[in-house]
Amino acid sequence: MLDADQWSQLLASFVEEARDLARQAEEYLLLLDTQPGNEDAINGLFRAMHTLKGSAGLFSLTPLVDFTHRLENLLMAVRDGQRQLDPTLISIMLRCVDEVGSMIELIDPASGQLEVDTTHQQQLLQALAEHCGEPSPVALIPVVAAASGCSSKGQLQRCASCEADGAWHISVRFHPDLLRNGFDPAAFLRYLQRLGDILDLQLIDEALPALTELDPESCYLGLEIGLCSAASKAEIEEVFEFIRDFCTLRILPPDSALADYLELIQALPETDGRIGEILVNAGLLTATELAEGLALQGAQPEQPQPLGSLLVEQGMVVAQAVDAALNKQQTVREKRLQESAQIRVAAHKLDELINLVGELVISAAGAHLRARANGDGACMETTGLVNQHVEQIREAALKLRMIEIGDTFNRFHRVVRDVSEQLGKNIRLEIRGADTELDKAVIDKLGDPLTHLVRNAMDHGIESAAERLAAGKPAEGRLILDAFHESGMVVIEIRDDGRGLNSARIRAKAVERGLIDPAANLSEAEIHRLIFAAGFSTADTVSDLSGRGVGMDVVRSAIDALRGTVEIESRAGLGSTFRIRLPLTLAIIDGFLISLGEDHFVIPLDMVTECLEVDGQQLTGASYGYISLRGRPLPCLSLASHFGLPESTEGRRNIVVVSQGRQQAGLIVDHLHGELQTVIKPLGRLFQHLQGIGGSTILGTGQVALILDVPSLFRHLQQTVDAHPADPTQNLPHPDVKGR
Amino acid sequence: MNSTSDVGAETTSGQHLSFRVRQARYALPIELVREIIEYGQITSVPMMPPCIHGVINLRGNVVPVLDLAARFGMSLTVPGKRTCIIIIETSQEGTAQRIGLVVDAVDAVLDIEPAQVEPAPPFGAGIRTDFIAGMARDEQGFTIILDVRHVLSLDDLLQLERALGDVG
Repeated sequence: MLDADQWSQLLASFVEEARDLARQAEEYLLLLDTQPGNEDAINGLFRAMHTLKGSAGLFSLTPLVDFTHRLENLLMAVRDGQRQLDPTLISIMLRCVDEVGSMIELIDPASGQLEVDTTHQQQLLQALAEHCGEPSPVALIPVVAAASGCSSKGQLQRCASCEADGAWHISVRFHPDLLRNGFDPAAFLRYLQRLGDILDLQLIDEALPALTELDPESCYLGLEIGLCSAASKAEIEEVFEFIRDFCTLRILPPDSALADYLELIQALPETDGRIGEILVNAGLLTATELAEGLALQGAQPEQPQPLGSLLVEQGMVVAQAVDAALNKQQTVREKRLQESAQIRVAAHKLDELINLVGELVISAAGAHLRARANGDGACMETTGLVNQHVEQIREAALKLRMIEIGDTFNRFHRVVRDVSEQLGKNIRLEIRGADTELDKAVIDKLGDPLTHLVRNAMDHGIESAAERLAAGKPAEGRLILDAFHESGMVVIEIRDDGRGLNSARIRAKAVERGLIDPAANLSEAEIHRLIFAAGFSTADTVSDLSGRGVGMDVVRSAIDALRGTVEIESRAGLGSTFRIRLPLTLAIIDGFLISLGEDHFVIPLDMVTECLEVDGQQLTGASYGYISLRGRPLPCLSLASHFGLPESTEGRRNIVVVSQGRQQAGLIVDHLHGELQTVIKPLGRLFQHLQGIGGSTILGTGQVALILDVPSLFRHLQQTVDAHPADPTQNLPHPDVKGR
Repeated sequence: MNSTSDVGAETTSGQHLSFRVRQARYALPIELVREIIEYGQITSVPMMPPCIHGVINLRGNVVPVLDLAARFGMSLTVPGKRTCIIIIETSQEGTAQRIGLVVDAVDAVLDIEPAQVEPAPPFGAGIRTDFIAGMARDEQGFTIILDVRHVLSLDDLLQLERALGDVG
């Protein structure tokens, strides 16, 4: 059988797949909640459960198989229109899917054992049964042993529906490796029975060697199956999905023409006579037809005519039918192509690649610099070209990590549904910009802060239906999750149309908790920012959802860790918006290189709006001040004095204007060196408290340059100004100052 | 990782790298030492305590550099012909970390027997007592074996930095 490594790999990919399936199932259920009759969703849900059950069976995860089997039975009834998926049933089903999810997490990754406490499952099943008003509508259907199918060997028991539909003919030849890969042929037969009745089953044991040569781990068998089913060919094929690589499968539709059987005869490895005999025995082929077919096969040994045209020529089917079949075949093929176009790659491999690309960027820049220093034109041209390619590789490599935010957003349908139920509020979630892409590392860390914000908006922001009606708003509250790109950043907004933040209450609470001085003169925005302080909560009662005062500060620190910012826009009675700005990626940025004396610094390029030149004489060396930029005051910060470096004495100095959100400021620097690709290197714990420095990078010369953290500089500027609000000695004289 | 994790106080015998800071001789367990590089191309990091010299590019990795003299409370090292950076690797709180130590000169690799090691005197060695893991005696006098955990204590350094931040 499999060795331990292979096996645990298989198990790991099963767990991964199972998680996906459980998530899909949840999505379909939520879709059905809003569109009860959506057939695609019902089918999708059914398929998810079915596949889950199938794969779980391969790993002998009996509790999971039993449970999903019951859900699947129920879904069958829904699919067949015998039962309606009403909201209560969906709620129970959602809990069942949760249970499936937690069972998946309980699978021991080492042993593959699944130990579960079945009482919870029993309760869920009980709830399902009660809801459906039957003692046990989802009782386990006894699985018929494969052997029982064999008893009807050679007999054709046509049921009423088969007379109309005919029987499918399925030929399977298992590869010798089947058993070694952990698959049991009988399991597939059992699943096949779910699609319809097996009318006829023939065991092909021709390949079976003499007992002395028999390898007990090899599979020598083949099956000829007659199946009476209303299922489509694709559905039948799906049954064998997991062993497609380990078997030769031929499926013939009911009432296939002679030529089809002929092809089958030719395609299968056994001798013609043997398979022909079986077909005759099965009543699928008459002896005459077989003889004719074999004669025909003999007549065209070199150039077998295409099946379609042969059929048309013989007047067996009309041309349109063949076209339709071909089209169908085409779409199935395309679908499979799309499926295989996705590759799962371990995240650390991508990280390695991106690290290497980062090194490449640095060394390519170094080569170019060297070429320029030598003044070698041809060499510069070549290195320039290399740089271009490196740039493309960099972009492609970074794109590998980019995923759409939609999946993360969609998870909130469930959160919103559950929480509104809990709160007794009527809230609708709208999702926009689901196709906005950002780095997987960022998305992974975004789940928790988003959940906090969404829950808060629902708990504190959106009012109860009665309150809303009294305020002249529609009873249904609206919560919008939106994502879009803005100047090199990703912006994520959580908007609600609730009551907005209550500034007076926040202020009172902050005073009560000793966070601010009762006499403090704070602007509206500053009061709103207080909710991000640690230990702050305005809720009078601690609810399940929020109010423990942990949450908003967690949101803030999570966003800070992603080098992002969060701002609040709130209007009393109209609702509030939490706006999160995040960098697209954490690994490489476009930078703008500047220097202060000998030291080089990088400013993230997307923060830079323009550069100005000023006369150094007019700057006194004070730490901050403002100049007039096209008639508007622009606060300025001298980087050298902020960092405690000696101030330059040069005549002309430069101001780099940076902006973040709606804030703008000028940074006074010595020299500008232009743009460069900046691979971010973390500075480590030692430097984590540094104000105004976010990381480091390595220049083409091999020197390390520090990357400015503009948001933290802004905060510093703000704090300094707030600490000395009217200290005129601190102000810089400036070229065209407009007075105060 | 474990071999380098809690080295310091326990490892007072075996092979040690000896070096000089000002006139005194010091030593570190050889297992901690990754490499010795020439002094140069240091990028200073503003707003850090003076003993944090800055950062260097060590084959694509950014590594902080600590001036041992300044850490011991002496004036900053004036780089000379024999000034070196010893790159050591420690693991503090579970994460492996590389750090460079600026020293005035690297001497030799010494075999230090446990019998040669004396406990640190309460004062007189010229540096904080908790920096000393032991004193190795030989013909030429004493070599101070450093307790890396205390010399490189992040909390210590961060406190220094924060104190500095509050003043600025």
